Amino acid sequence: MPADAEATPDNEDWSHAIAAVAAHRDRAAFARLFAHFAPLTKSLMRRSGLPESTADELAQETLLLVWRKASLFDPATAGASAWIFTIARNVRISAHRRGLAGALAELPDVDASFQPDDSPGPETRVATAQAGRRVRAALAKLSDAQRRVLELSFFEEKAHGDIARILQIPLGTVKSRARLAMSRMRELLDEFS
Amino acid sequence: MTIRHHPPADLLTSYAAGTLDLGDHIAVATHLSACPRCQAMAAALEHVGGAVLTGLPPMPMTDGALARVTARLDEPDRHSDHGNKDRAHPGHQDLGRTNRAPLDGVPGLPGFMRRYMAAPWIWVAPGVRMRPIQLPAASDSRVFLLQSRPRTKMLEHTHTGTELTCVLTGGFRHAAGDFGPGDFDWGDAEVRHDVTVAPSETCLCLVAMRGEVRLRGFWGALIQPFIRL
Ligand SMILES: [Zn+2]
Repeated sequence: MPADAEATPDNEDWSHAIAAVAAHRDRAAFARLFAHFAPLTKSLMRRSGLPESTADELAQETLLLVWRKASLFDPATAGASAWIFTIARNVRISAHRRGLAGALAELPDVDASFQPDDSPGPETRVATAQAGRRVRAALAKLSDAQRRVLELSFFEEKAHGDIARILQIPLGTVKSRARLAMSRMRELLDEFS
Repeated sequence: MTIRHHPPADLLTSYAAGTLDLGDHIAVATHLSACPRCQAMAAALEHVGGAVLTGLPPMPMTDGALARVTARLDEPDRHSDHGNKDRAHPGHQDLGRTNRAPLDGVPGLPGFMRRYMAAPWIWVAPGVRMRPIQLPAASDSRVFLLQSRPRTKMLEHTHTGTELTCVLTGGFRHAAGDFGPGDFDWGDAEVRHDVTVAPSETCLCLVAMRGEVRLRGFWGALIQPFIRL
């Protein structure tokens, strides 16, 4: 497998790379981000059933938005990969809503049409920083099996039946495990609040 | 104001994954803008999404992809002003150009919906009226505001599809409990008995509905043709 997060020497540095892009429009840092995250984003787009050329273009679009929105990235609230995931997700939604027709360069501002609140105030930012810590603490306490089921449920086309096959457990177990993982996470988040 | 009713787990997961239909997405986002608890859940699920992303097998980009993106880095960001364009999806729930008004000023809606347009109020039943919302893209659901006078009793009814509801103001009660501002309710083909609007205040809800509402019983059969839901 080519360079994944673990194999990269600066595993912890993606936040710094984004910060460098934000602070001094650092093109070398951007190139590193691109080399790491564009192929992952393309893979994510392919998973949601898009043809390869579209997946490639949407991955480019995602990284372009990483460059443009770098100053909005707040390492206290989101991890770099979670932040890039949300950008990729919104790019895909936007492309989907446009029926994948027309120039991809004309993507509307997906974030503005996605988030419950498009302009969080200062108090909200403090609250989300705390939420970010809570979230990381809660996720760290989930079992590997629970995390795995949650991750797999992210793929629309992966019906629970497919997950059952992948994990080699009965279908009923997948469903109850997913439910348990979610309620466990809710409990943990409540605990840390 | 305590929120007692939250969206089910699979809806929140699909919301975070970005795989919800637009109408469902709007209903969940409306709840989220009132519910810090579910906001934390959604944030947690976005972290799961980050883990999903980094765990995928990387797919090589086409030759020159980085160069093409680098060439665009200095382009002005055309979308940073949020545009406020009326990007109605042609043909979908097209409410026509006349009499539409922005949703600005409706309490409890998520920020992005302020730019959506809504039709005038339509009479549905005594004490009940609805206001269809024009969506910027296709959706399997119809999204509308539903307003009911205090103490309105809804007739026993069932749905042919799913119905997601988020209370904006006022509230109602049915077998599953009391619902107030921010509370999220969902129903499928099951029958609802005895939905009663709270006595003190007009109830305003955002509803995303697939299929139709079917009223049951003798009176329901009689008035069904006149009910526009
Ligand atoms: Zn909630």
